[in-house]
Order: sequence, then C-alpha cells, then structure tokens
Amino acid sequence: MAGSGSAHLRPPGQAVLRAEDLVVEFPAGRGRSVRAVSGVSFDLLPGETLGIVGESGCGKSTTARALMQLPPPLSGSVRLDGVELTRLKGEALRRTRRRLQMIFQDPISSLNPRRRVRDIVAEGPRVWGVGGDRVDEILEAVGLDPDTAATRRPHEFSGGQCQRISIARALVLEPEVVICDEPVSALDVSVQAQILGLLEDLKERYRLTLVFIAHDLAVVKNVSDRILVMYLGKTCELAPGSELVERPAHPYTRALLASIPRSGLGLPPADQLISGEPPSPVTPPSGCRFRTRCPKAAPRCAQEEPEMRSLGGDRWVACHYPEVETA
Amino acid sequence: MRRRLGKGFWIASGWIGLVLAAAVLADLLPLPGYDETLVGPPQAGPSLAHPFGTDGLGRDVFSRVVYGARVSLGVGIGAVLLGLLIGAPLGLLAGYRGKATDAVIMAVNDIALAFPALVFALAVVAFAGANLRNVLIVLGVLGVPAWTRLVRGTTMAFAGREFVLAARALGVRDRRILWREIVPNVSVPAASYAFLGMAVVIVAEGSLAFLGLSVQAPTPTWGGLINEGRTIMENAPHLVLAPALVMFLTVLSFNVVGDRLRALTDVRQSGLEHVRRAAAQPLPTAPHTPGGQLLQVADLRTHFVTERGVVKAVDGVSFTLERGRTLAVVGESGSGKSMLIRSILDLLPGAGVVRGGKVYLDGDDLTGFSPKEMRQVLGTRLAAVFQDPMTALNPVRTIGTQVAEPLRVHLGLSGKRARAHAAVLLASVGIPEPERVLRRYPHQLSGGMRQRVTIAMALSCGPDVLFADEPTTALDVTVQDQVLRLIHRQRQERNMATVLVSHDLAVVAEWADEVIVMYAGKVVERGPAADLFERTRMPYTEALLQSVPRLTDPAHHRLRVITGRPPDLAALPSGCAFHPRCPYARERCVTEAPPLFQETREHLYACWYPRGTEAAVGDPVPVALGESGPADPVPVALGESGPAALGEPAAGPVPAGTDRNGSEPGGPEHNGAGSAGPDLKRPELAGPEGADNRGR
Repeated sequence: MAGSGSAHLRPPGQAVLRAEDLVVEFPAGRGRSVRAVSGVSFDLLPGETLGIVGESGCGKSTTARALMQLPPPLSGSVRLDGVELTRLKGEALRRTRRRLQMIFQDPISSLNPRRRVRDIVAEGPRVWGVGGDRVDEILEAVGLDPDTAATRRPHEFSGGQCQRISIARALVLEPEVVICDEPVSALDVSVQAQILGLLEDLKERYRLTLVFIAHDLAVVKNVSDRILVMYLGKTCELAPGSELVERPAHPYTRALLASIPRSGLGLPPADQLISGEPPSPVTPPSGCRFRTRCPKAAPRCAQEEPEMRSLGGDRWVACHYPEVETA
Repeated sequence: MRRRLGKGFWIASGWIGLVLAAAVLADLLPLPGYDETLVGPPQAGPSLAHPFGTDGLGRDVFSRVVYGARVSLGVGIGAVLLGLLIGAPLGLLAGYRGKATDAVIMAVNDIALAFPALVFALAVVAFAGANLRNVLIVLGVLGVPAWTRLVRGTTMAFAGREFVLAARALGVRDRRILWREIVPNVSVPAASYAFLGMAVVIVAEGSLAFLGLSVQAPTPTWGGLINEGRTIMENAPHLVLAPALVMFLTVLSFNVVGDRLRALTDVRQSGLEHVRRAAAQPLPTAPHTPGGQLLQVADLRTHFVTERGVVKAVDGVSFTLERGRTLAVVGESGSGKSMLIRSILDLLPGAGVVRGGKVYLDGDDLTGFSPKEMRQVLGTRLAAVFQDPMTALNPVRTIGTQVAEPLRVHLGLSGKRARAHAAVLLASVGIPEPERVLRRYPHQLSGGMRQRVTIAMALSCGPDVLFADEPTTALDVTVQDQVLRLIHRQRQERNMATVLVSHDLAVVAEWADEVIVMYAGKVVERGPAADLFERTRMPYTEALLQSVPRLTDPAHHRLRVITGRPPDLAALPSGCAFHPRCPYARERCVTEAPPLFQETREHLYACWYPRGTEAAVGDPVPVALGESGPADPVPVALGESGPAALGEPAAGPVPAGTDRNGSEPGGPEHNGAGSAGPDLKRPELAGPEGADNRGR
C-alpha cells in the first residue's frame, strides 16, 4: 500500500469534511516514534458515508481521532465546511466541536459509569445552552425510554443499549459529521443489525454525513457509499462499495476480501494473496508498505512509493501493479 | 449496594459512629470530668460506677478515654482531610494534564516521599511545640504525597477512558470534565483510602502521644493514656488495656470500612455472578449408555446459583462427535456456548456451580473422573485453545519452556528432547524460525503468532478432541483465515475432532461439518452445516443468518433485525425462550417449551412452527433426549419443501394425515394430542428478507 497522494480528493468547495495529507506520530520509546498515520487524504460530500476499513494498526482509529483534533495531527489539514481545524486552538477549536461528533467502539468505556443516562445525553445541550428540549426526542429516536434514562446508570443497560446512548449523545447537538469508530465491533450480530439499521434511520432523519470505521468489510460495505482501504498508516484503495468488492484493484484489498469466509467472490484463496503478518509500524518497509506481504511485489515497489491514481470512474488505487481486469 | 458491603462494614461503621458521637457529645454525657482527681479510689479495677476503672490519681478512665477520642479522631479525620485538600487537586491536575505538569508535580512528590516521615514529625513537633494544631498539620502534610499519588493514578486511569474523550469531543471545558466526569469516579477509591489513612494517622498520633509529643497533659489522648498506665501496668493492667482496646477497635473499624468501600469501585456487577458460598447439590443425572462415538455429551447441564436465582447456563445439551469432524457451536453472548465447553472440560469456576449429565470420551465417563484423573485427560486426550492467547501464556516464561512443559509432564520427554520436539511443533503450526521463537517471551510475538503457539501447545500431546473457543475473534481477518486453515489442516493430519465455538456464522459455514445453535443455554437447532444453513428450521437461526451483513448485498441493504435482546438468564421467558423475539410465535410457544424435533436423522430443531416446512401447521414429532435410539428416518419429502417455501406464509391447512405424527411411533409424547387442530394457520409474519438465507 502504500500510498499517499491526494489526487482522489474532489474540489474543495464540494466537501463538507476534507482531510489532506494527515500525519500522526506517537512516541515509541527510546526516542523513536511511530507514524501511525502517514499522508492520508479523503473527503466527504454532504450526506455521504465513507467507510474506512483495515486491520489493527492500520491507523484507522488514529485517523478518526485526528479528525476530531483529539489529539490534532502532526501535520496535514482537516477542513470542516472550509474551516481549517488544525490551526484552531483552545476556545476557537472548542466552538467547532458540536459540528463534528464521534461514536466509540466500547459502549461501556465510552459512558461515565457514575452518571445517569439522561444526564450523559444532556451534557452537550447543557454545555452549549441549546437543544435541551431535544434530549427526550433523541432518546426516543435511538429507541430508549426517556423516563428510564432519567433514573438509570449505564451499567443497568446492555451493550447494544449503551451504544444507543452513545449515539444519542453524539446526535443531540445536531452535528454535521459523525465519526463512528468501530461502533458495532463489540456487539452481537443481532444487536449489530439493530445498530446498523438505527444509524441508517438517523442518517436519513438528521441528514448526517458519516465516517464509518470498522475492520469488518461486510459491515462497512453495508453502510458505506465509498470505502477507503488502509494499511499500516497509508491509503490503498478508494472506491464505491460495490466496485471495491466486485473489482478489487489493490492486492491488499483482494487479500482482505479473500480472507472473509464464504465471501462468494471467486477470488483465489487468501493464502495465495497474502502471507505473514503486518510488519512493525515502527520500522515500516520502504516504498510500498504492503510489498513484504504482496504476491506481486517487484523491485520498483521497494524503491518508489505508489500514489493514489485513478482507475476511471470513482476508483482510486495506490499500487504500481493494480489488478484492473478482475471480473 | 448494601448487601455488597457486608455485615462487617456496618458493625465497623457503627463502632466509628459510636466513638465519634461519644467524643463530640462528651461534655453532655453524665461523665465525671477527665481531670477530676479522686472521683473514686485510685487504681481501682472496672466497676459499675467506673466501667474502665480509675487511674493512679483516682480519675475515671472511661471519661479519659472518651475525651481522648476527641484528640485521636480529631487528628485522624482532620489530618486526612488536610492531606486530601492539598493532595487531591495536585493529583487531579497531574493525572489529567499529564506531560510537564505531571512530571513536575510527581518529581516534587517523589522527593517528599523520600523524607523519613515519623522522624520529620517528631522533629517538627518538638521544635514548634506539641499541641493539637501542630500535630494535625504535621500528620496532614505528611499524607499529601500519598494522596497526590493515589488521586493521580486513578485520574489517569479515567482520563484515558473514552467517556472523557467523548466529553472533550462535545466541547465540555476541562474544569467541568474534571468535576463531572473524573471526580465522581475518583471519589470512591479516595473515600476508601481516606478511611485507611485515618487508621494510619490514629496510630501515628498514638505513637507521638506515647512519646509525649502530642497534645500535652492534662488533656488526655489514647497514646498518652497508654504511656501513663505503662508504669503501673503490673498493679493496674486496665489502665493500659482499656485505651489500647478502644484504639485497636477504632483502627480496625477504619480499616474495615476503607477496605469494604473498595468493593463499590466496581459498579458493573449484574447480580448474575455466581455465589461461591452456595452448597453444590449435584443435578440429577439420568442413566445413560454410551454409544461408540469419540465424544458423546448427553443431557449436559450447568447451573449457577446467583443472587438473582438459578442461572441455567447450559440446559440439557446433547451431541456426539466423530474423529475427523468439526462441530461448531454458535450463539450470541450469554447463549451458553463457552460455558458448554467449560462444562465438558470440567473447567467450571468452582463452588456455586453444579453440573449434571454425562460426557463420554471413547466410552469413558469423564463426569465420574476425579480432578486428578481429569488433569491427565486434559492436555493429552482433550485440549483447548481460547480467545485470548495472552491469558493462556505465562508472560514471564519463554515460549520454549511453556511449549516443552506438557511434553515433559505428559510424555515424559527429557528437557533436551522436549525442546527439540517443541521446535518441530512450532514449525508444524507455521511459525517461521521456531528455534528463535522458543527463546522469546509471549509479549514479543504478534497476536497471530501467540495463537499459533497456544495451538501448538494444545496439539503437543496428540489430543483426540481440540476445543477452540473463539480462537480467532481477537485476530485480524487475514490472520484469522490463516489460523482457521491451520486448525483445519491439523485436524486432517491428526485425525482428531474439533469443537469450534464462534459467534461468526461465516466462519462456521466455512469450517464446520456440524453445527449447534444455542439460545439461552439450550440447543435450538443442530445438524450438518449444509443442511442447517440451507434448510433452516428454527426462527432464531434464520434470524441470525439474515442479520449478518454480506458482501454480496447492495450498499445500504437493510439487515434483518431481531427485536429485543437476549433473555435474562435468571428470569427466562416461559415456553420457548425465544418467543418474545420471534415474529412467528403463537400461543403454544408462550406456554410450552418445544423439545427437539427431527427434520432428518441428524438435523434437529426446537420449534413448534419451524420455518420452511408445511409441517408448521401440524405437529412435528419430538425426539428422545440424547437421541441415541434407533431413530427412524423421518419422511424427508415433507421437510424438503425447499428454499422456495422459506418465509412464505403457508397457504392453508394441510391434510392432517401427511404430517409426521404417524411416522414415528417411538417418539415420546411431548406434545399434547389436542394441539394439532386449533393453531393451523401460520401468522402473516414472513421475515423481512423472505426466502434467501442460503448465500453463506
């Protein structure tokens, strides 16, 4: 994978959220640092759902937090409705917060165990002095009884219900963009279906733009308009969901798809497409970061990092040797 | 909450309350003055007039102990509050801000902690004068570093939690985050520590007073009383014993309260934790004769006694498994699938858990084995791999030691040969450079490699059955595929049987030969994988299959939603446990639990109105428990109505003679004879996705 580049971004005026060349680093001890996200770019049109998929350590959650400026990225740009968030500090940044919200993976850890559920949801309106009258409406919209929520604390609810509380908290301020970081990975399949359905309903009802991050490609495909595949802090491929699944161009995308049992996609077995495990992000491979596991790797892949380029239509890939004629 | 604190907490609180009240109200109590000399005979033992006797000057010791409590408790509570007042804000600041603020505060703190506390206290009190205020200040300030450290640690733990991140994302200001999100969470451990701290301070004050460095005579203090009594201890032991006993009880009480408060830190108890004290009454087990299969589980039951009642985690599960086959157990969390594995392996969490039924391995009844015999079986004939490989590996021992251990213990290999064999094992599970990996520690390996190591360990003694409980749930999808392939290949090569527990139906469809679907501790459908996925009968199985997103679905495809949530195991619904969530449920489902019916000899389901069969209008025939009997092949034609019929409401009554009632005379009569007639019509509640549940 490799790549960076921002050829796939659409004209700045169209996008509601636009991230360009994001870089996030963490200290890795002994004076070294890990580039968890390294030159990632994407954008979202109003009402669009962008899925971000990748394995652990690919930087997808770090990207989500960089969008939220929690913490801000080391470099790069995040524009929300044309406003550059990375340059804002303190109070100015705080004022933009209600327009960009987030739903977290762990439904338990993301709710304060010592506060009542209604207070958790009403925290945003209380801080901003707006929308206090929407708290009950939003609780009902996510399928919770406001009276129960007024007296109970999170541990009295199931995981799925806690995720509904999280969603209510994120939506009560009427944000423009909601970032969902693995919102269903901790849930059982039956509850997962409920939450995915709920997100779709709420998206229509409140005209939301979503960034949906998950490691499960089938889940991402279900909710997304376009899907961005990430590997080791870089972007691999960006395409509308059905095209990505039917005609995966990047070898890593193909391997991901083939790893899903009974995917029915007619791909070769996964072990012919990928081997081993991801290398350490502290010492990533030169050139294309996927080359160490790629069956098509050539000398060029070690020297030259591929950039995102068009495959026609809305398909973009960062690979020197993409698979273009796959059925 | 009350019950969680326990009786000791309330007795200790009562004692503290009593001492505190006596100290506060001492002036109002009908007591002789503490410094009133010769209210009674000097050095007299306890009597009705003087419950603790009198001292050398004839003063009432009881009165002196009560007044002494003022100093002890005053210093104890005051010093702790002082320490808290200074230390807690520092700790909150250091823990929440982190970075430079944290570094500076903690550096100063570490230096402060390096001071020898009691010597410092002695020096200050000796220099500044021994009075209540100075003692209180010195002991309070001495407590600051510990407070800072405690509050900082707790704050850090919570500041990293996602709810704090969520508050920041909402635009909540730092001060409000600290006050609303963090302080309430820090306050419980802080309260616990405060009580423990009070106990320490009371002892410290007592020591100072004993040395004469606390509040000066004539004001009595507990330590001072003990010191006074010391000289005439042989003649009047009560002079030392009375204050010592009161002090001991008070310090003990503060410790007990502080200790018990810690139990409140965990707010997540559900009331379903099993009660350890409960007497284990073995569940009745019906006599059973083993068949010739490799693994046979007959009517296995595991019940927990909890505060909220008996939880039937596993409730009458039966199956058989042959060599070379993979059985998958699927279900949502709480369905009992992991507990089933633990019950089979006899790895249940001890008292309060009871097991019934039989487990046969090659005809041996494992339920009759002693713990020692069972340990022999585990690892050699039965082996297990769990979800989190890190918990299965000892973090401080090398991979080599751990893989070689079962080889030495069970196979009796020498150290050197065991190590050589371990390397071969690691190579066989696809670990590159096994010799090098043997010298490594678990944390130096990736999750996928660790899981390969635990698989190698499980396989080391050539087990007959490998149990894999969510072996790939913690792994990435590309690694998951590799690990499942590995388990599959090992099963082939070693001709063993595999039991795979998973919540992932796609994984199950790919790798299992037979499938058990569990709901609320019971098997609700079971059969060969292909049959079960293509001719799903139980509505729960159908709903599960349809609720999983598939790659072949179009974007924004609405998934089947199972309404409601898994049942409360301590209060199961009547009849069929799934009926409150089942769109096809009818009256009978509410009143009567369905037994397992036969679709084919292998394919069983627990439903009165199975999907995709016209038999839904009549009454299918239940199968005997354990079903080892010579079950007649059921007329397959009826069940084979094919996928077209799935989800399609039945047109109308079917001639009664064609249902399966007549064809299996041996079946026990679980179903009342009268129920065939009235409820013939299927509800008009086809699943949203209709017929197609086959794609996987």
